Amino acid sequence: MKNFSFILVLILSATTGLRGAGPAPATSAPSPAPIAVTREAFVMHFDGDWLVASGLPEKALLISLQGLANRKAPLLYVIHPKDYQWEITEPLYEFYQRKWHVHFTELSTADAALTQFKSAAKGYVVWDKKVSTSLNVAFTISGLEDAVVVTEDLIPLVQKHGLKQIDDLRGRYTGQTDAQIYADAIKRYWSRTNKDEMMLMGGQRGALMMPGMADWGVREKMFFHDLAANPERPDELALEKRLLSELNPGATVFGWHPYGKDTEEMHTTLISSYGLKMEGLHNLPNLSFNCQFTFTPGFKFTNNSHVALDAKLEAKEKVYISFVQSDSIGIGVWTKPGRGKLPFAWQVTMNWTKFSPAALEYFHESATPNDYFIGGLSGPGYMYPNHIPADKFPLLMKQANDLMAQLDEHVLEIMDNSAADGNVGNADLTKETVDRYYKAFPTVIGFINGYGPARTRDLRGTQPMISYDYYIDPKRPREEVAADLEELIALNSKRPYFLLVHVRESNDVNSLITVVKQLSGPTEVVPLDVFLKLAASNKTYTTRYQDPEEPKHFSGF
Amino acid sequence: MKRTFLKLLVGLCLVPLAALAGDASLNGHWRMDTPRSTALDGWSTADLVISNAGSKVSLQHDMTWRATKVTATNTVDTAAPVEVKNFFRIDQRHMAVYARPTAAAKVTATWIDGGNTLRVEALVPVETSQGNTIMRLYDEYRLLEGGKELVLIELHSSRSRPLVYRFTKVPAESAKQ
Repeated sequence: MKNFSFILVLILSATTGLRGAGPAPATSAPSPAPIAVTREAFVMHFDGDWLVASGLPEKALLISLQGLANRKAPLLYVIHPKDYQWEITEPLYEFYQRKWHVHFTELSTADAALTQFKSAAKGYVVWDKKVSTSLNVAFTISGLEDAVVVTEDLIPLVQKHGLKQIDDLRGRYTGQTDAQIYADAIKRYWSRTNKDEMMLMGGQRGALMMPGMADWGVREKMFFHDLAANPERPDELALEKRLLSELNPGATVFGWHPYGKDTEEMHTTLISSYGLKMEGLHNLPNLSFNCQFTFTPGFKFTNNSHVALDAKLEAKEKVYISFVQSDSIGIGVWTKPGRGKLPFAWQVTMNWTKFSPAALEYFHESATPNDYFIGGLSGPGYMYPNHIPADKFPLLMKQANDLMAQLDEHVLEIMDNSAADGNVGNADLTKETVDRYYKAFPTVIGFINGYGPARTRDLRGTQPMISYDYYIDPKRPREEVAADLEELIALNSKRPYFLLVHVRESNDVNSLITVVKQLSGPTEVVPLDVFLKLAASNKTYTTRYQDPEEPKHFSGF
Repeated sequence: MKRTFLKLLVGLCLVPLAALAGDASLNGHWRMDTPRSTALDGWSTADLVISNAGSKVSLQHDMTWRATKVTATNTVDTAAPVEVKNFFRIDQRHMAVYARPTAAAKVTATWIDGGNTLRVEALVPVETSQGNTIMRLYDEYRLLEGGKELVLIELHSSRSRPLVYRFTKVPAESAKQ
């Protein structure tokens, strides 16, 4: 019966919303056919051990196998512990069961997974635990040669399943720098890899690595690397510049920057300067599975708008506060208790329309009336707009406009931390950049800017651009948060005062309710669309752009 | 009688002179005890180096944030009000309240409590989203009993909650670490 269902899945995958290879089209294209047939797939539960010395080798093997197994159909899904950075793997698993009638069979060991999916692999490639960079080379080979990646102690396991050695990296890169290793990998593999997508498999390095997104890179035959976008590492920077310059226009760089070798600001600046999109993080799991589902038949995004697009509101003599969660719908907040008790705007990574539609549908269907979705971040991917080449800006923002229309989003969140120092410092937009946004998004309600606080502000017609006046550090004591907000209210003494607050991932909503209750005077927490409409009615904020004289933490390349 | 009067006169003259002198124990390198202090925001560590020459007191702040190091010095004068450009305060850096580097803060300083406490009052120009404004600061640098601990209590005209930073004296050799 199970085998029959499995065959049925493959037959139906082309007819009822499941996709073949390749990401979803940028339209939801709802099918009128109801989903009535059970689909078969398999699920594994991962623990939280990503140490190279213990848990990583088997996870790397399984993630590479997942990428291969999910090439033609969504067959293997991974659930991570609740404290994993992407906490939606379990809710999404339930969503697939409920909305897509996926029946999951548990695979509890690597042996069981290989038994089920060994036919998806042609062999194995051995990476060198003593040279952690070799894992990225192995992932590249995995995608190109249909190989699972193993350490030497896992060789007997894969051989037991009849897999043959395709390559062995042990000793090949001993004593070499990352630049030397990747120069060799480029020579060997770059010409054959996907030029629309590249995998920046950075993040943690050394004794602990979390290549949770590698299934996606393997499936899509991407080139894996963790080259540094750091002028202090000129050899690596030169290699990365070459790779970025040889990607196709409009390509996406998946993953995340390598911790300790460069900064998020450096890497996003570099990628943006080529007009390319960034899509993180390196540990985002299951894209090889998620990408193969469209939106369920009949599903249409309907945002929880609180005001008509053409409405005109009048602000009163009071303080208006609005809360925004960015970081791809907060990464770790959506499922925490308290959501819905306060109006919150959630920044949606628009590109998930292509790569993870089910996740977006899950968020939308589980939204409360207080959850309002906005587009981000800066465009159709994570980009720093001050550095996007002028000739590439219109096309990128056309993509963003189209995605926002599909997602029923009417506010764009912008972030440019190229000159910032983490979440403090200079996060402002040049006037030229602001001009471009107003030209590219003539119909949005307004724009918001920043990550940490920023001071880019404008109002043109009915469209305000407001920067964050406050960023809530999740570790900051709530009584100090309340005192900070009260101080901002005191210093900005004109009324109305529009206080835009960025709520950093992992802040819980219940604690913010406590904060709001401590605020004195006439304050009101309003949804972001209402906030922007009110901000358009009485401009008590200054017009300001990035001042060329203001210090920049990173001076650029 | 004349001798007694002279003694009294000299004594009265010495009172203001005493008020101009701080306890020498305040001088030196102080390291913030962050767990016992008001939570820093946008800063990781804070050191304070105090030295004085005559009526002038130098308050040097050595701050870190991740790999970033910032050093800023406010030199105040207990004899007369001064104007200080780039006046430094331990700011809450996740608030959109920005120093205005080109505008000077008006600062007065006084030794009180027999020289155990330096009181600093400043009118600090800042920029917010509604434009430029002034934040009034009231600081007390209090030397605690025993001379090994210092507490900085800061009040803002705009904040109902005091900021209380506790420092411990750091020997010169370990101050470099």
